[in-house]
Amino acid sequence: MQRSKLWARLKSWEALLFIILCVVIFVNLRLSSHYLDLNNLANIFHLSIEKSLMVLIMAFVIINGEIDLSVASIMALGATVLAERYEAGWSIAAGLALALLVGLGCGLLNGLFVAYMGIPSLIVTLAGQIGYRGAARIILEDRSVGDFPKWFTSLGQDGFIGPFPITSFLFLALFILGLVVLQYSVFGRYVYAIGNNRAAAEYAGINAKQVKVTLFMLSGLIAALAGACYAARLGNVRANAAEGFELDVITIVLLGGVSIFGGTGTMLGVGLSLLVVLNLRNGMSLSNVDGNTQTSVVGSLLILSVLIPNWMQRLQRLLSHLFAKNPKLFNRGGAAEPKSPVSVHQ
Amino acid sequence: MTADPLLEIRNVSKQFGATKALDSVSLTLYPGEVHALLGENGAGKSTLIKIMTGIHQPDSGEILLQGHPISLHNSAQAQKHGIAAIYQEPLVFPDLNIAENIFISHQRRNPLVRWGKLYRDAEKVLAQLGVALDVRALARGLPLAAQQTVEIAKAISMDVRVLIMDEPTASLSIHEVKQLFALVRNLRKAGVAILFISHRMDEVFEIADRVTVFRDGQFVSMAPVAEVTPERAIRDMVGREIGDIFVKEPSPRGDVILSVKALSREPRFRNINFELHAGEVLGLAGLVGAGRTDVALALFGIAPAHHGHIEYLGKEVHIHSPKQATQMGMVYVPEDRRQHGLVLPMSLMANISLPSVKNYRNQFGMVQHHKEAATAEHYRQQLSIRTSSLSMPAGKLSGGNQQKVVLSKWLNTKPRLLILDEPTRGIDVGAKQEVHRLINDLAQQGLAILMISSDLPEVLAMSDRVLVMREGQQMGIFERHEATQETIMAAAIGQSVEKPVERAAEYA
Repeated sequence: MQRSKLWARLKSWEALLFIILCVVIFVNLRLSSHYLDLNNLANIFHLSIEKSLMVLIMAFVIINGEIDLSVASIMALGATVLAERYEAGWSIAAGLALALLVGLGCGLLNGLFVAYMGIPSLIVTLAGQIGYRGAARIILEDRSVGDFPKWFTSLGQDGFIGPFPITSFLFLALFILGLVVLQYSVFGRYVYAIGNNRAAAEYAGINAKQVKVTLFMLSGLIAALAGACYAARLGNVRANAAEGFELDVITIVLLGGVSIFGGTGTMLGVGLSLLVVLNLRNGMSLSNVDGNTQTSVVGSLLILSVLIPNWMQRLQRLLSHLFAKNPKLFNRGGAAEPKSPVSVHQ
Repeated sequence: MTADPLLEIRNVSKQFGATKALDSVSLTLYPGEVHALLGENGAGKSTLIKIMTGIHQPDSGEILLQGHPISLHNSAQAQKHGIAAIYQEPLVFPDLNIAENIFISHQRRNPLVRWGKLYRDAEKVLAQLGVALDVRALARGLPLAAQQTVEIAKAISMDVRVLIMDEPTASLSIHEVKQLFALVRNLRKAGVAILFISHRMDEVFEIADRVTVFRDGQFVSMAPVAEVTPERAIRDMVGREIGDIFVKEPSPRGDVILSVKALSREPRFRNINFELHAGEVLGLAGLVGAGRTDVALALFGIAPAHHGHIEYLGKEVHIHSPKQATQMGMVYVPEDRRQHGLVLPMSLMANISLPSVKNYRNQFGMVQHHKEAATAEHYRQQLSIRTSSLSMPAGKLSGGNQQKVVLSKWLNTKPRLLILDEPTRGIDVGAKQEVHRLINDLAQQGLAILMISSDLPEVLAMSDRVLVMREGQQMGIFERHEATQETIMAAAIGQSVEKPVERAAEYA
């Protein structure tokens, strides 16, 4: 009993990710002496802070059985609104508030179409991706707007504790919050139940529409927040900011063991997957591998993440099949056991 | 019946898991006859159709076509032998036109479609049937009767020799039924053997030449239609062995919990009236498709009624969502456990606490697993759910244990009214008896229970009163002493035997 539990835990996706992470870190250590520099470690998180933030909420959305392709566009729109309003004379705080409201509104729109009109989220948020990006373009056209006050950019650039900027801690706080909410709260339970079997969840008296709208609104909100982080980190904003980010975000979530069909996955897995991808990219950067190659490597990793469990299952089935046919094959000397040593799932 | 038999089914058996769907049944079809097959839900009619059309293979027994044994491994082979089936809901492709639908499975495999020939051939087939349909029209939006005609035309174009019609009239108007019967008579004249399955007795007696009755997967009787009376057919259908089924003990009838007046949701059901008391089990009997589940879904707020009144605990209520119904203390144990009752990959524990998980929060809003576990453990003992662990995914439990988990999850919300939809379908005998005992205990404790069941012995053993529905209509409410398998089945198929249905309706 105890042993099988341990075995199940070892076989889990999280364990595999942890091993991969260790390998990546080990290789990075061998490749570069700068890897362990505190500045480099800070950079690992700092340079991808926007994606990291959006990964957190995307995990919820996908576990719920939906997808949000519009996050990068909402992020750009949020940054655009903030920059344009600041340029127009508003304070940063007021601009940020409006940006967050816009993000929330975009998410609400997505959610209403998905939950109440029953349009697949793939289509709704694809339209959103185009529409919200278009709005950002209308606002800024080709201009690059910046010139933010020093205190604002220093929030996104300068170290808060050591070389880690405050946005890193914002992410850490949200990660813990996300983990608690997803794994331990009633809302999290609903997210899983709906993602697994929406009908059964609704028959159990859960308002699935409400949950979905809430998730899309949070997704919009976090995306706009990521937009603000982006503005603070780079110091200027263009309407084409963050193009294609949504795919990286989704990749990390799926690599974290979240099923694209919803219902399964954990925040821990997503966190590990984020660490794997960030460290992998960092290691490749340190070894002067160019960005496009890095992207291909991450893409291959995603495919492998789907293939490996499939292969493992087939291997298990094959083994247990052979074993059932010829028990002595794997058990010379000892008495033949009727059961396979590896338990086959499903 | 001088001709040689066209199709002979000899001693065919089929087993699904523990249930014997067909137990050595035989049936002979002659060319040019309409052979009616009667039986309750679960009598084995559908299994026989599936075997005849190659969807299932028999475990034993043989099928002979014109004296030669044939084996049917898929529906293409059945088609090749000239065996085709049409169903209550025709399976047409809505975005293809009528001609394409007719020839969908046997178009010439040319690189290009010869549209002109396709249309001419389609028109020829339809002319043979004596119907006028535009072969270029899309099947989408065609009335059901026309869709069925297309299906029949499809069968004809494949030189069908045995045509199985599975409740073909269930969704048709009287006028359309007349047209369909004219078609059937044409086919009979052309020498086609027709296996006609219907729950409408008058239709059976109008069209059939011979009548066969199945019960519980077994052959019961076969006779020329002239020798059969509706009474006899019904007796053959229901004379089911009761076995040692648990019989509900009398329970004190309390206040009215639910009162339903003139409840309608067209076209599913209309003008449903009943009162349900605390401590009472009201059986809801009828054939599959009679609208019983739809009434339950209306009460539970999933598909609310369009007209009529629901009074719950003396107050008129409008229920629009399961959430609302659940909060009121009205819960529904669905027929399809796997689709609607359980979140299969989630643990047994999480499934039990799902509707009431808000009650398990601590002051920080986090779900307290130990309290959930305590509840699950309580129900595991009380309902003797057999599982090695409370964190086992619900999907890995047996049917009976799954049903106990669904019951636990709803009992844990402390309901006043429990709607059970086929509570013992697909679960083994032992678990069935446990569920029956539980229903009995819950009634003793004063719960009001509405129990939908297609299992007549179960309905009779567990119900204080029985409401019978047929095609969306309430046929009557029978007190316990008036209810027999015959009276209920007669009401369910719209026949009056011994006790006139009109009298039963007085109790409504």
